Amino acid sequence: MLHKLSELEPYLNEHRIRCRLVIPAAKDTNVFNAAIAAHESGIVDITLIGDEHSIRRLAEENNYDLSDMRIINQENPAEAAVQSVRMVKDGSAEIIMNGEESYYGATMILRQIDDRRRGIRKGSIMSHMAIFEVERYHKLIAVTDTVLNVAPDLSTKAGIAHNAVFFMRRLGTEIPKVAVLAAIEMVNEAMPATMHAGLLSKMAQRGQIKNCVIDGPLAFDNAISFDSAQQKGIVSEVAGDPDILLAPDIETANILYQSFVFFANARVASVVLGASAPIVFTSKLDTDETRIASILLAAAAYVPISYR
Amino acid sequence: MSEPGTANRVKTIADLYAFAGRGGKLKKLVVAAAQDEHVLDAVVKAREKGIVEPILVGIKKKILELAGEHHFNLDGVRIIDEEDNIRAAEISVHLVRDGEADILMKGLLDTATYLRPVLDKSNGLRRGEALSSIGLFELTNYHKLFVLTDGGLNIAPDLKMKMAIIKNAVFFMRRLGVEIPKVAVLGAFELVNINMIATTDAALLSMMSQRGQIRNCVIDGPLSFDNAISKKSAEFKGIFNEVAGDADILLAPNIESGNAMYKSFVYFAGASPASMLLGASAPIVLTSRADSEAIKLNSIALAASIDLSDKTG
Repeated sequence: MLHKLSELEPYLNEHRIRCRLVIPAAKDTNVFNAAIAAHESGIVDITLIGDEHSIRRLAEENNYDLSDMRIINQENPAEAAVQSVRMVKDGSAEIIMNGEESYYGATMILRQIDDRRRGIRKGSIMSHMAIFEVERYHKLIAVTDTVLNVAPDLSTKAGIAHNAVFFMRRLGTEIPKVAVLAAIEMVNEAMPATMHAGLLSKMAQRGQIKNCVIDGPLAFDNAISFDSAQQKGIVSEVAGDPDILLAPDIETANILYQSFVFFANARVASVVLGASAPIVFTSKLDTDETRIASILLAAAAYVPISYR
Repeated sequence: MSEPGTANRVKTIADLYAFAGRGGKLKKLVVAAAQDEHVLDAVVKAREKGIVEPILVGIKKKILELAGEHHFNLDGVRIIDEEDNIRAAEISVHLVRDGEADILMKGLLDTATYLRPVLDKSNGLRRGEALSSIGLFELTNYHKLFVLTDGGLNIAPDLKMKMAIIKNAVFFMRRLGVEIPKVAVLGAFELVNINMIATTDAALLSMMSQRGQIRNCVIDGPLSFDNAISKKSAEFKGIFNEVAGDADILLAPNIESGNAMYKSFVYFAGASPASMLLGASAPIVLTSRADSEAIKLNSIALAASIDLSDKTG
């Protein structure tokens, strides 16, 4: 089990992880810097797909050493997205990272992943998971889904939980603990978030969502504090110790993400799950630290697990 | 119309304590179903600090037992013996309505029972269009006090209810000395998306504010949390306005996000807010068992320092 994002690199090295990272529409220096740093740590090899002329000019301006990177000349960003997905499909890349930090760039990649014929969808649901290192919590904690699923219904939430559990197992937690968040800890017919949470808990008990313990509904404080849960009389192995916080909706997840970062000085890395390769989408507002950690986090998808 | 000057402005949570004792006359705080160790503890401490004069309504025997057990000094405190929680709530509300008490505080009873007599049309304390809950926060990483609403009361507010919640919070912030509060209406992101009600509600509320349908404030939304509290973040997204990055009030899209935000500030950012209910003719304190002693005391100090009388708009 990891407690800090800085433990990712030694963890990956310990498991001798080396992945091929493909960057379609490669043009943002932020992305280059992070990819090069991840490359220098020996975790990833890099393929850049983009306008080769501009890439080389950018490299010159910023003193990038491109000598052991593969560059595929493709001026059309949409076509670059197609090629990156194809590389994953034919086994020549293991991680995709958006080379252009924009909503538009991300959308193009997602569309290709979703393509019925050429795509690389694995599970039923694509979801975004962010992992935080917060001073006031005793281990890394994931929040999902911050970006992709706006108002997930019950089956979508089950898919989001499945994706997050699958991933947290790769980070060394055999049976991840999932707290399903709501505003209160009681099942209340007027609050669908609480009913979904109650149902998901039961589904995990029945083995419908595997390899995890789920508890909910839990208010945020019940979820992350033993004392708070105890005061409410909640007896559960999840309350006070979750690995994953499953948010009721995108608003809650997004606000938690930003509040952790801006008010609790959290470190964060994030990854998009549900395709046969992890996807890294970074934003212009991310720090370099977040970008690098997100690449390393994606690489952790390939850590072999000994437990079944 | 009174123009709140800067001398009257509350700038920190600590200011609440100074404002609470001001004016000479102590505010009377009535606790409904006061037989609760933590509530009694907070109330006794508030009394010792000279913030309020408590009146306790509840099971007298139990209250005195708890006081004995925990060495709470209740000398000279008025205790009204009432075993039934429904009656205790009614008595407490009627004391406030009749002017014998200034502040209502929840003891050991469920929220619905506590609020029922408050909401009673003829004998209650209704003033605004709706009750809403606020948390007043002071955080290291933000440059001023701000209000988060509604983290506890209204489950899935529709547009009309969000208006009422904003009006309550704006009225409140003005009483704290912020003349034209800046309201950030939160969504998951800053664009209007017809599939995300939080964003369409936010856009409509902004427009209603521009048209003067919601007065005495500036509203902007949809804003994602970072756009609301960080100028840099907002400007990155091309949002340049006086609210983004400088909000006095954060309006949560629903109770789930409001509640999670409130608690993430407390548990992960180390905040001790002051919280209360708005929309009644008197301050209503509704702290939960899980709230720390500091939060309970801050909330009493807030209730004691704020003047909700209906003298201006």
